[in-house]
Amino acid sequence: MVLGEILTATGTAIFRSALYAIIAIGFTLIFGVGGILNFAHGAFITVGMFAAFLATSDVFLISLPIWVGLLAGTGAGALLGAVTYVGIIRYVRDRPVTVLILTFVIGFFLIYGIRIWVQGIDNIEALSIPVPQVMGTDFLNNVFILVTSWLLIGLLFYFVNYTRTGRAIIAVSQSDKGAALVGIDAEKINLVTWTVAGAFAGYAGVLLAGAYGSGSWLMSIQPPAPLILSFAIVILGGLGSIKGSIAGAYIIGFVETFAVNFVPGGQQLAGVSSLVLLVVFLLVKPEGLFGRGTSE
Amino acid sequence: MSVDTDTDADEEPAGTEATAGDSDVVLEAEDLEVSYGKVTALRGLDVTVSEGEIVSLIGPNGAGKTTFCNTASGFLDYGGSVRYRGQEVARVGQTELVDRGMVHCTEQRDLFGYMDVEDNLGLGGYLRDDEVIEERKEFVYELFPRLDERREQNARSMSGGEQQMLAVGRALMGDPDLLILDEPTLGLAPVILQDIAEALAPIVERGVTVLLTEQNVTFALKHADRIYLLENGEAVREGTPDELKGDDYIRESYLGG
Repeated sequence: MVLGEILTATGTAIFRSALYAIIAIGFTLIFGVGGILNFAHGAFITVGMFAAFLATSDVFLISLPIWVGLLAGTGAGALLGAVTYVGIIRYVRDRPVTVLILTFVIGFFLIYGIRIWVQGIDNIEALSIPVPQVMGTDFLNNVFILVTSWLLIGLLFYFVNYTRTGRAIIAVSQSDKGAALVGIDAEKINLVTWTVAGAFAGYAGVLLAGAYGSGSWLMSIQPPAPLILSFAIVILGGLGSIKGSIAGAYIIGFVETFAVNFVPGGQQLAGVSSLVLLVVFLLVKPEGLFGRGTSE
Repeated sequence: MSVDTDTDADEEPAGTEATAGDSDVVLEAEDLEVSYGKVTALRGLDVTVSEGEIVSLIGPNGAGKTTFCNTASGFLDYGGSVRYRGQEVARVGQTELVDRGMVHCTEQRDLFGYMDVEDNLGLGGYLRDDEVIEERKEFVYELFPRLDERREQNARSMSGGEQQMLAVGRALMGDPDLLILDEPTLGLAPVILQDIAEALAPIVERGVTVLLTEQNVTFALKHADRIYLLENGEAVREGTPDELKGDDYIRESYLGG
């Protein structure tokens, strides 16, 4: 009986963690390569959700299937990542504080833009923006998220470790100057990174909203608060480490699920456990599980 | 300008004459000015490096040696002119300069610390095709057998001397036409210094021109074909090692009398 509950919770945790991994990966990539904490990450996720909504709803009288919505969300995220880098970040990427502030501002612009588009200037409620889930049942939808999460992680690993551009990405992440010295064009590598990270964020936005039935203009800070979640995951795993982020996603996914299911009054803990873990790690192991320490 | 040309017995054409169509000149700086904000690092520097030479810039810390290297390899804005193979480096651009064969091995080495020797060398040949990479790797391992023994070791866990060899090796992977070595001997034990020195001859034999900066004046006098002495961003002496050894100022200030 208890065993049954544990098994059920484990299943839930695995599904949830798979989604969390996708949510955090874009954030990790941008930090790992450019040393930038992208506070617009949550907004990228929101834009992905919104693109899927536009594609699947009858706003433009198109009502396309969610598969197209998934592509639209991913594409919108990728485009947004690329435009953000080319249009803004590349001019200031040597000035960390400016970048930090700008990613904040970009994030605000995007989500307020969506709010005004959806519900006008005056209404600040977080009205639901419906996004269908990809598969017909919750279970199948979870399986879809789990499978594509690992598939995309696998592709990313292959890309980074075994392609020429991927090797260049690692090179830039370890030494900007070193990469320049061997003739790697850091501009191009950063653009690729922002595009891939944006695509992950957009994809995550569609899946997240689908799993919850809807999104809203405030979804980046509403449970499960993907922006804060990404932060916690990435700190846990070690800033900039893809492996670490995946581990971090699973740790948070499991802790959260078990807290909610087995701690009395645990329902209230849904968004809190990631924050608690974040604080604990910052105090006890600030370099994270797979962190490189402070040397780089 | 205060380049001392009196002692210059070379047949180096001065300044402007060398610019047009002189294919022998690999790198040429004329009236080069570089500042960091209000601090002027190079003031009207003239330097010429010709094919097949080892040219050394010597001088104390802060004389502008590293600034010159960074400017030549396209990392800094400048006034005046610095041309690689007749073309203004600012117009060519840093990455393209590497592609055209100007490879810079920096004082900080800037290795990929979390990658092993193999991967560092592999990335050194980022702009070259596989054949060149394989051939170059063999050359580098022959040149520095220590690297051969440590192929799987992460760069950051290696000793300073080994890291320096790796930095030079990585630069050689880029199939350089002009190799810029910025302070390659800084802080190295004499044994390692010897390894680096012995690598210079085979590198030059391959048709590589070398620009070498050194605080170690003895090392420069021993290995360079021509030397510029920089002080406060200006070249105050220029000549062959023999000429400079006979110069009173150099003897007193740099060779301990």
